[in-house]
Amino acid sequence: MADRIPVVADLFAETAEGPRLTGSKCAGCGAGYLPKSEVCHNPECDGAKTEDAEFGPNGTLWSLAIQDYPPPAPVKFDQPYKPYAMGFIDLDDGLRVLGRIDVEDPHSVEPGARVELVIDALAHDEEGNEITGWKFKPV
Amino acid sequence: MRDVAVVGLGMHPWGKFPDKSVTSLMREATDNALKDAGIGWRDIEAVSAASSRFSGGKGWGLNGNDIVEEMGSTGIPVYNLSAGCAAGANAFNVGYMMVAGGMHDMVLVVGGEKMPKGFIQTSGVEDEYDPEYLRQVCVGIPGPSFWGVMCRQRMAQHGTTEEQLAKIAVKAHKNSVHNKYARFNKEFSMEDILGSAMVSYPLRLFEICPVSDGAAAIVICSAEKAKQLTTKPVWVGGSSVATNSFNDGITRGLAGPVPPGGKTFHSEAASAVAQAMEAAGTTHKDVDFIELQDNTVYYELCFPEEWGFWDAGQAEHELEAGNTTPTGSLPINPSGGFLSFGEATTAQGIFQIVELATQLRGEGGGRQVPDAKVGLGQTLGLGGNAAAVVLKR
Repeated sequence: MADRIPVVADLFAETAEGPRLTGSKCAGCGAGYLPKSEVCHNPECDGAKTEDAEFGPNGTLWSLAIQDYPPPAPVKFDQPYKPYAMGFIDLDDGLRVLGRIDVEDPHSVEPGARVELVIDALAHDEEGNEITGWKFKPV
Repeated sequence: MRDVAVVGLGMHPWGKFPDKSVTSLMREATDNALKDAGIGWRDIEAVSAASSRFSGGKGWGLNGNDIVEEMGSTGIPVYNLSAGCAAGANAFNVGYMMVAGGMHDMVLVVGGEKMPKGFIQTSGVEDEYDPEYLRQVCVGIPGPSFWGVMCRQRMAQHGTTEEQLAKIAVKAHKNSVHNKYARFNKEFSMEDILGSAMVSYPLRLFEICPVSDGAAAIVICSAEKAKQLTTKPVWVGGSSVATNSFNDGITRGLAGPVPPGGKTFHSEAASAVAQAMEAAGTTHKDVDFIELQDNTVYYELCFPEEWGFWDAGQAEHELEAGNTTPTGSLPINPSGGFLSFGEATTAQGIFQIVELATQLRGEGGGRQVPDAKVGLGQTLGLGGNAAAVVLKR
């Protein structure tokens, strides 16, 4: 039976409300972090405490590009290689995050598109297990 | 602070040299710089070197030590500087401070690199705590795609066309025809550029820089020493190093804040340029030409705007008017730039300064900027590093 294995642990989760990115937030200035940060990186902020926080699912695609050639290691992809789109997504809760765009035709998406977070396979390993990560699907 | 002069320029051509070590590339560049300055190796009091990412340096980036061993171990101090692709210009800044601060009178700044084949891995470590590793393993955004994301945003905002992107590459190669050190010193047509393979839409193969082997060296010295060596020294107006600010809109790891106003990008580069210009007492109008880091054509559009030379959205008009050619109102990359040289990552900052000084000496030949008096150079590197320099005659 094939499993779903997160590409890196503790960065995203399927919660009761749906998929979320699991990071942290500064208790002082509200700056968000993925992965979790033990300290706030904002030099204007004296708040030393960060707390666990969930981000997503809704956001706007700031911009994107298409990875037209097979990327170098350690990027995950299946053979035969199929170009994918990736970009920066401005989540409604204030985090700008990187992600792949979950579309069949990578040319069908434009900057400014509304998107939502999904958990999906980035690639498969030799045993057929899904290596999962987060992506953003146009809505 | 003392005045600092640039008195020796040395290059090894950029290209692919499978039969040479990085140290031998650096030695040839160093020999040329010493000869150009009219001094010998024993006159060098200290070395500030860029730490190579990919070659030599005993795997520790000790390329400055390699060159000292190669030239002759005189026991002088060596500083090896790591700053991603900004390492060369960072090394120049440290050399500059040693002479300006009165620690040494005659310093060698040197950088060389031999690059692996193909598209480079940005992260050198398989470490789930390393932000660059996480970007690649969780998403997959190699350099060209990162540049593509930035470029596409500009296209959406300012209506930049694919033809305009190609024109920048055509211009770069036109300049490189007159530069014997460039790897690709021949003209490319619009058809050549637009017909090259799409690498990371919207960017094509000939609109991003390839990787090359290369080395460059510079001798800098005090004003007193310069007077003994030359009647026409080139002066360092300002040399600066900066890092990015927290609110920068370019996400360096997996995520960051949405910037207030959404407008701050490449804050490290803008900051380094502003500081170098301020130190030189140089206004935007005073700058006769710019050598900037054109890993991709996109940077020729955004950087002059972000540094205050043009208004937002003006770059495409300046390009179409021919104002960025060597005889235009603001020549950009008369050397041919990274597009023509390819990137020998950590040597790039030093090759740029060699070009600035060559132009200020009036030795640019067919790519000469007429009557150039002030030149600005800029590089940036992984980790939010940037460096800038203003040279004057």
